[in-house]
Amino acid sequence: MWLHVTHLFQNIGRNCTLQINNWVKTKMGLARYHFMFHSRSLVLTPCARIEEKNVSPDKIDLDIWKTIMKENATETPDPLSSEDSGDSFLAATRELVQMWQLAGKTVPENITDEQLRTVQELATKSAKKKFLKYLAIKEGKKKARKEKQKLKQETANILQKEVKSEERVELKNTFLLQIWQRTFDVMYSWRTAQSMVFGQSLVFDMSYENYMNRREMENTVSQLLECEGCNRRSLDPFHLHFCNLDLHGVYYKELLKRYGDAWDNLLITATDKSYIDIFPKDKLVYLTADSPFVLNTFQHDKVYIIGSLVDKSIQTGLSHANAKRLKLATARLPLDEYLKWNCGAKNLTLNQMINILLTVKDTGSWQEALKYVPTRKHDGLLSVPLEQRYWSRIRKQRNNFEAEKRARWQKST
Amino acid sequence: MLPRRLMTVLQCAFTPVVKAQGTSKLLPRSLALWSCTSWRFLMLGVSRHNGDNKRDSPSTRQERVTRRGATSTFTLFTAGAARKRAELAKSKLGNKLMDIPKVANTAKTQIPINPLSIDEWKKLKADAYNKTRFEVRMMEKLLSNHADIDVAKSLLVFVTMETGTIGYELLLKYLALCVQGHHLNEVLDVYAIMKTKFKTMDIGANSLFISGFSKTDRWKEALIFLDSIKKMINPSPRNYGDVIISALQHKEVETAWRLLNEMESRNLQPNEETLQAFFHCVKSSCDKQYENMMMNILSYLRDNQIYPGETLLCSIQSWFESLPGKVWEGHKTTIEYSGECHKCNTLLESIQLSDEEYNILRDCVMNDVIQGRDVFKKTTPEELQHFQSFVKNRLPFDVVIDGLNVANISAKGTQSRILLEVVSHLAQQNLRLLVLGRKHMLRGTRNWDKSHMAAIQKYADCFFTSNISEDDPFLLYATILSGNHCKFVSRDLMRDHKACLINKNARRLFFKWQRGHQLVLSHYNPGHKIKFEVITKYDTIMQSTHNTWHIPYEEEGVERSSYEVPRRWLCLQNITEKK
Repeated sequence: MWLHVTHLFQNIGRNCTLQINNWVKTKMGLARYHFMFHSRSLVLTPCARIEEKNVSPDKIDLDIWKTIMKENATETPDPLSSEDSGDSFLAATRELVQMWQLAGKTVPENITDEQLRTVQELATKSAKKKFLKYLAIKEGKKKARKEKQKLKQETANILQKEVKSEERVELKNTFLLQIWQRTFDVMYSWRTAQSMVFGQSLVFDMSYENYMNRREMENTVSQLLECEGCNRRSLDPFHLHFCNLDLHGVYYKELLKRYGDAWDNLLITATDKSYIDIFPKDKLVYLTADSPFVLNTFQHDKVYIIGSLVDKSIQTGLSHANAKRLKLATARLPLDEYLKWNCGAKNLTLNQMINILLTVKDTGSWQEALKYVPTRKHDGLLSVPLEQRYWSRIRKQRNNFEAEKRARWQKST
Repeated sequence: MLPRRLMTVLQCAFTPVVKAQGTSKLLPRSLALWSCTSWRFLMLGVSRHNGDNKRDSPSTRQERVTRRGATSTFTLFTAGAARKRAELAKSKLGNKLMDIPKVANTAKTQIPINPLSIDEWKKLKADAYNKTRFEVRMMEKLLSNHADIDVAKSLLVFVTMETGTIGYELLLKYLALCVQGHHLNEVLDVYAIMKTKFKTMDIGANSLFISGFSKTDRWKEALIFLDSIKKMINPSPRNYGDVIISALQHKEVETAWRLLNEMESRNLQPNEETLQAFFHCVKSSCDKQYENMMMNILSYLRDNQIYPGETLLCSIQSWFESLPGKVWEGHKTTIEYSGECHKCNTLLESIQLSDEEYNILRDCVMNDVIQGRDVFKKTTPEELQHFQSFVKNRLPFDVVIDGLNVANISAKGTQSRILLEVVSHLAQQNLRLLVLGRKHMLRGTRNWDKSHMAAIQKYADCFFTSNISEDDPFLLYATILSGNHCKFVSRDLMRDHKACLINKNARRLFFKWQRGHQLVLSHYNPGHKIKFEVITKYDTIMQSTHNTWHIPYEEEGVERSSYEVPRRWLCLQNITEKK
């Protein structure tokens, strides 16, 4: 078999060489008979020379960029650093930021003097870089949002034009006017007002001002805002108390800044008094992830306290210490009992907390309520929650006991 | 079950009405309340109490498992022990933890080996997957592959031909490539270009210039760059190191010395090459003054507990051996547990703290570890008061035992039995014992037998903190208060408590004290054998007598954690007198 194949190949090869030779002979008479192998370099040399010509100027050129750059430099000396503010140190920092941007680091394009000053005050290089990165990301988001708005406006304009062109729209016959947001707002505030008189109280403990840095503080305030919104929109709102709110503190200032004029019309109770002065001590339950006790049932006659604290530096036991100091009852959410916990800390954000509490208050079902725990932190609900397992075990034991009793009784009879 | 079914029925009845109203499912409040109470009835009071560690993540659980099982021939604090424990734990867990080999990122565009012409670059760019920032990316790739500088140059030619100029970022990357490949003339050229083109330069460029210039004859300009970095930010030890090395190479020891002092004042730790340069350069020029300076460096290493690596150690040894007038002989050895050097039979410094140090440590532990910013974080004032009076009446103890830690040492056997065995073993040696635990141990459960606990209380004094307090701080405090002879039994490395200490010096003292006073159960078989790890009697620190030096060093290939100390030593002996 193999012999056949090689034979075939040999034949083909011979044919080919013959053909090529013939072709060569007809094309250029000078070529000798066996140029295929021996005179190959002879034929290719002119081509190689051309290639060399292509390469050789490149090698000479390797430093040409320097001369070009130098020429350029004389034309445009320093495109940067036009501003010369009075503060030389500030200017130096600004220059540093600009050069970092040129070097491809994530720093904001525009930076205000106030932000620069905070950059300066930061102690270490990594802190500076982190802050600048934060500013850059913020700037990028702002830009993207603006672009989006622009697009939206353009499409809206087009739509408006279309509407104008087909002017005459017949009026429909409806029995209800459209329900506007204002109507909703009235309803919500009616409900919240009702809850302020009859509703269950929920306390936010605002005494952690000194444990947070600026960023954490800002995050806390935005979480509080969200809390208030969720509470207002719920069916049966809590009566919110902001306790221990220092009227000269940064917290209060930030809240005022965010709410603006709405702060005075807010249907919550904000005081500088402590919760132990407002409520009876035995009604208070401090919710903290460090507590050894589990909140199995939501009780409607208790006043739950949530520490309004964002701790990114994981200060374990901070709110628990507070509760211990005042000798209050503490509790943690039954996260381990209902969820296959995967990763992440068990302290939840304030808005998640209030959503969970609102749901468990309305429905009484933890399965429903714990849907507000971020899904990245767990692998779903446990099929049989711990409580039920406990009860089934108890029931089984009791059954066994009764069976034994019955057996004994039968024996005795 | 009934109320729930009822509720669903009611809900069904309500929903149409609700939809007509336009708001989502509006349940009357009374109904909601009622349903909740029914649930409350179902879930009556199942509260779980288990004493320690509420935030029980999988990782901590794993750690505990490994701690229970690991039996190592190493002592807890020798270099490499942690690594060994980790490997043991991994092998026990089997293939579960086998890490998946990372898929190597295949380069989408190949890196050229030879310089390319402009047309070829153009073609490459057209073929490239991501065309934005193609040049910078390519330069980064060249940098990470240690490519030939000519390739980079041809890339720069291509860029200038395309755009007319070269951006700052690209130049910076090229500069890094030049510094990496030691093309010093290129560095100078790039500096000339960048100086005319940009008024200021960022820290990255400055530090690249420092490391580039310090290898040339214009090394003094590196000092200027260093100053310009100082204006913006704290320079890195690397920046200082480059300048110092070049200063030493050019015999300007004064400058080098000044810079080293400056580093110390800025709290920067010099890296090994810098120190090595000192030992190398001074070797050639022998002088009494230099010798003193080198002694200063050695004492700096001692004070900051820096252990030299093997390369640095070699240069230290050769420096000692080159000292004129004296004959030094260096050997690598290990030290006996008793603190005797194998080579020269000198006793090393004791691990015991001096009285003054002891007092400092006691105050620090009381203030920082137990009380901290808030007493309530770890305990309560009443409990602390109670404990203090309890300890004061019964002082001094010989051994303080961390009950929960000891009880969890083995998975076999009930916890109270293990604790009882350890306590009785120690009590047979006529030691005054204190067992610290939590109140839940007394309640009499399956794991904590009441009779065992009663027996323990016969053998030893016991103090039980409340279940939500931490017991480790009490352990440390009781041990320290009992005096220098008192030891404690625990397998805990106490890293979190060490971290609570604010003062750096106090942290070091704590670690030294811990090495000298911590008894670690190394072997335990229920009912048979109880063995503690030997406590070394010497301190692992660089030290000298009038004719010897002993320097602990880091072995190559041994991973040392921060809470471990090296076990290999260099013994330097002055043998002039013998001869």
